[in-house]
Amino acid sequence: ALQVQQPLPSQQSGHVQPQQPCLLPLLSAGELAGRGRQRGPPGASKPEEFQISAGFQEMSLGDRGGRRRDFHDLGVNTRQAIEHVRESKTGSSGIMIRLSTNYFRLTSRPQWALYQYHVDYNPQMEARRLRSALLFQHEELIGRTHAFDGTILFLPKKLGNKVTEVFSRTRSGEDVKITITLTNELPPTSPTCLQFYNIIFRRLLKIMNLQQIGRNYYNPSDPISIPNHRLMVWPGFTTSILQYEKSIMLCTDVSHKVLRSETVLDFMYNLYNQVEEQRFRDICTKELIGLIVLTKYNNKTYRVDDIDWDANPKCTFKKADGSEISYIDYYKMQYNQDITDLNQPVLVSQPRRRRGSLMPGPAVLIPELCYLTGLTEKMRNDFNMMKDLSVHTRLTPEQRQREVGRLIDYIQKDDSVQRELRDWGLSFDSNLLSFTGRVVQSEKIHQAGRVFDYNPHFADWSKETRGAPLINAKPLDNWLLIYTRRNYDVANALLQNLFKVTPSMGIRMNKAIMIEVDDRTEAYLRVLQQNVTSDTNIVVCLLSSSRKDKYDAIKKYLCTDCPIPSQCVIARTLSKPQSIMAIATKIALQMNCKMGGELWSVEIPLKQLMVVGIDCYHDTVSGKRSIAGFVASLNQGMTRWFSRCVLQDRGQELVDGLKACLQTALRDWFKWNKYLPSRVMVYRDGVGDGQLKTLVNYEVPQLLDCLKSVGKDYNPRLSVIVVKKRVSTRFFAQSGGRPQNPPPGTVVDVEVTRPEWYDFFIVSQAVKSGSVAPTHYNVIYDSSGLKPDHVQRLTYKLCHMYYNWSGVIRVPAPCQYAHKLAFLVGQSIHREPNLSLSDRLYYL
Amino acid sequence: MDKNVQEERFIEVIKFTPPLYKQRYQFIKDLVGKYKPKKVADLGCADCTLLWMLKFCSCIEVLAGLDICENVMKEKMHRLYPLPGDYLQPAERSLTVTLHHGSVAHKDPCMLGFDLITCIELIEHLEESELEKFPEVVFGFMAPAMVVISTPNSEFNPLLPGVTPFRHPDHKFEWNRAEFQKWALNIARCYDYSVEFTGVGAPPTGMEDVGFCTQIGVFVRKYSQTSETALSEKPTKAAYKTVFKAVYPSLKDEKYLQIAVVSEVVFTAQVIKRSLMDHLNSEHEEYTDGPVEIKSKFQHSKNCVSEDLENLTVEKCMEPYVSGNVVYIPLTKIFSFPKVNQLCGTFEKLCKLITGKITLSSDGSAMVIDTKQKNEEEEN
Repeated sequence: ALQVQQPLPSQQSGHVQPQQPCLLPLLSAGELAGRGRQRGPPGASKPEEFQISAGFQEMSLGDRGGRRRDFHDLGVNTRQAIEHVRESKTGSSGIMIRLSTNYFRLTSRPQWALYQYHVDYNPQMEARRLRSALLFQHEELIGRTHAFDGTILFLPKKLGNKVTEVFSRTRSGEDVKITITLTNELPPTSPTCLQFYNIIFRRLLKIMNLQQIGRNYYNPSDPISIPNHRLMVWPGFTTSILQYEKSIMLCTDVSHKVLRSETVLDFMYNLYNQVEEQRFRDICTKELIGLIVLTKYNNKTYRVDDIDWDANPKCTFKKADGSEISYIDYYKMQYNQDITDLNQPVLVSQPRRRRGSLMPGPAVLIPELCYLTGLTEKMRNDFNMMKDLSVHTRLTPEQRQREVGRLIDYIQKDDSVQRELRDWGLSFDSNLLSFTGRVVQSEKIHQAGRVFDYNPHFADWSKETRGAPLINAKPLDNWLLIYTRRNYDVANALLQNLFKVTPSMGIRMNKAIMIEVDDRTEAYLRVLQQNVTSDTNIVVCLLSSSRKDKYDAIKKYLCTDCPIPSQCVIARTLSKPQSIMAIATKIALQMNCKMGGELWSVEIPLKQLMVVGIDCYHDTVSGKRSIAGFVASLNQGMTRWFSRCVLQDRGQELVDGLKACLQTALRDWFKWNKYLPSRVMVYRDGVGDGQLKTLVNYEVPQLLDCLKSVGKDYNPRLSVIVVKKRVSTRFFAQSGGRPQNPPPGTVVDVEVTRPEWYDFFIVSQAVKSGSVAPTHYNVIYDSSGLKPDHVQRLTYKLCHMYYNWSGVIRVPAPCQYAHKLAFLVGQSIHREPNLSLSDRLYYL
Repeated sequence: MDKNVQEERFIEVIKFTPPLYKQRYQFIKDLVGKYKPKKVADLGCADCTLLWMLKFCSCIEVLAGLDICENVMKEKMHRLYPLPGDYLQPAERSLTVTLHHGSVAHKDPCMLGFDLITCIELIEHLEESELEKFPEVVFGFMAPAMVVISTPNSEFNPLLPGVTPFRHPDHKFEWNRAEFQKWALNIARCYDYSVEFTGVGAPPTGMEDVGFCTQIGVFVRKYSQTSETALSEKPTKAAYKTVFKAVYPSLKDEKYLQIAVVSEVVFTAQVIKRSLMDHLNSEHEEYTDGPVEIKSKFQHSKNCVSEDLENLTVEKCMEPYVSGNVVYIPLTKIFSFPKVNQLCGTFEKLCKLITGKITLSSDGSAMVIDTKQKNEEEEN
């Protein structure tokens, strides 16, 4: 029987933590009755919204709700369960490179400790304000520097006695005995202290007059306005203080908040003028759902979950005191806000689930009183808009380093900030942390017997391999080219250019069956139904616009009902004669992959290794369904892949579907190789902040179970690596006196990693502008026994294997494939594609 | 000063809806709505709830709070900061909110020149010596156009169980109506104010004799006084400590006005451009199926003629036109849009604000938009 080779890491194995309250930084800075609530369950009207201030009330006890997610995945200690990296998790290969990073050390006085006290009142005092007032009658004892939330008191100094009793008198002359008991002496590295630092730091950001939105802080007084798109960009910072490998550090990065200087109602008007009336509601719903809106009258953000077209501002709701009031009257009375359009629908926002307390009813919001924030999918796809935006948000390493330095400068220069820090005995280093990283050797690209080097600086080999034969070229014997009359010339140009570029690749090509269609979705579908046969290699559709519905219909039909690879091309992309050949080359390569061909490979020294990539797509429009793409390698060269996806319905665990995928992948592997892989390496992308614990506790054991179920004697080694693209960490190479992007292949496994994890960063891609973002890899389970160096090198190699890009990408290829697949299914198909396509990269 | 909480504890039997403290605040809000004061101060502002409510009143340009307890002010003062929305669409009016730490027994020039000063449930917390100085400070020195003072009416107390002797342990006294009115009338006479009495918290049926639970005096200054004379006559050293100050973004500030104008102009121009292009495109569909270039060249030559005519007729120079890849939108056309017009006021102001921010034609009369879209979409 299969034995799990190592105990699964448990939540807090071996680490005894003192009993301590959970400090919760409270983020909502609004008003209790800030929005019209629909009738909620009784009891939900209890005041539960707290306000922050620059004062000390930012702290609260765990029993008040425990509703803040742990975004930093603290307390997930996976490294100690992985025996071979307990001593060292660092790699060794490559050449050394001097790096600096956007981290600053937090230093505390020698022998620093935070003293935690419990404060009791006799007789019992209820009001927190009163408790504070009574306690601070003894400021000479307690000192000026303190943090008190009504029960727990933090001081930077130790009181003379473990238990101190003092007496205070209320204004009514009542004497109250206050007992202050020392409960904990917290070392600088204790988790409570870490949360405490973050609270203190937020206080500093407030002192510096930065405005909090979500988790980050922004400076609204110097906005960047992009009037073309009605966008407003606020510069700001994202910050967090955590225990890193050797020290506690502040990680801070420049963040830009994209806000829109239009209300949801403005947006609706504008859209109404642009689309046909009968499609308006539908399009409007699609555009708005999932967006975050910011209310005019308080500092709160809400996610739009629905639009109630039947309601309007004249509708009434029940207030906490039981009286009925209309939205118009409510907003007029409460915030002096006039609602001018009485026929607008209302937005509905479901409160995010809270553990412990009752679910409040959904919040109803008036479009006219809400600003849009962030970008819609449509905006993200608007090349011109993104370009205009990136001018402001994309910072070169030099600019970024300067901006980050400015925050630290503020901190060092602001007197009240300095005083606050000094009082607590804390200080920040004024210089960016610097250390040594490694740049691993660049890979050689193997393609049908030929070996190519590429310029490691650009991490791209499209020029080097242009016109070279492919590893496996699929013939185009029988294929369709569908176009509208207007694009007849473009279709011919494409055909001619494909004839020019395919021979050198080794692709055998017959003339396409050319079919003209009307520019309507039904016309395309009819042509497909009439002309696609089981002998068809691929269907190429020339589309006259980027209208999504046509694309979706074609993809849906050819991925599910009639599983044949397809290639859609927007005619405009072929309109420039000077670039058409390069584009035809790209199209030829993509078509070849979709038909099951193979392009290039890198040397993979490990044998019998199956690599798996998983990524998730969260469909916000149709019922919030999540879709996971699952991609597994089928051969030694990692050139063939098995691809499936899981459509997760509400209430269903994603991992059930993943198990089924893994089982089929292993079966397919066996079919191809006549044996099973002895190692399985899972790269898991799409894990949100704070979800690591779930992954470790549920998903990994399930994967192990699944491997166990394959056969009695089957006992492969498993590694699970969490891949994270969205990290605040940035590295700067200090060469030539100016901060530069570190070169592709830069590996960092010291200083900025976490001591409780087996983690590392790799900068694999090259960027043309802006600062490169490293990818974070966290090995949460590993029975492979592979050296960290080998895991790092293998990971980097896999970043070379994404066939839609002749260069190195940010993540291992299977993750990117999984992403592509999940995105296609989530955006266009909404069903599981036909399994007969699963051995091809049909979704590229 | 936990007056709201305390009061609610006592008034269990008689329940006011909305709660009494809210009625007091509403009273002030209604007063503000009626008299539209520009400068309002709240003495004894405690946790700034009234100030927070008042900041939404669009007539107010200066809001100030004063309290003897710094901590209680600081607790929720963040509510007085501008919101993201205030930055996204800056208001027409300017607004400055300031909080001071100090005593109503002291004079500070920062309290001069106000239109309305409110003292909600304040006087009963004052020590005798402070109460003595209060009239001189508020009515003699600050001398606002209007003062509102509210205080408990002790005649109502028998209806409130457990009030022994006062509604709040920090109250130094609680007056009946006669006592309050005598005090108030005396002040009014001394400082040349008129006073009217009212209240909130109506007594239950059958007990009308006791009067309102909270009695209110509304004082109106009988003489007129410009803020200049107020300042010049009474120079005094600062006695208060400023603990909070927030200046709201406003269109009165050139920086925000410029952002708003440029944003509106560009957006308006985009709307005009889009409808123009749609119009042109629909012409193509109808008459020709040929490439776009031919049509726009034609358009270009046609417009060359109209350019010459431009100076002749005002009508013509309002119309946007296409020339090659460029759309020209006359500023006069943009200025005719209500939102732009309203923001700028005058055409000269419009021209001044967009200078250097927007690409204009060589003679500066029209906005220039490039219609070439650099599309780089990936094929799928």
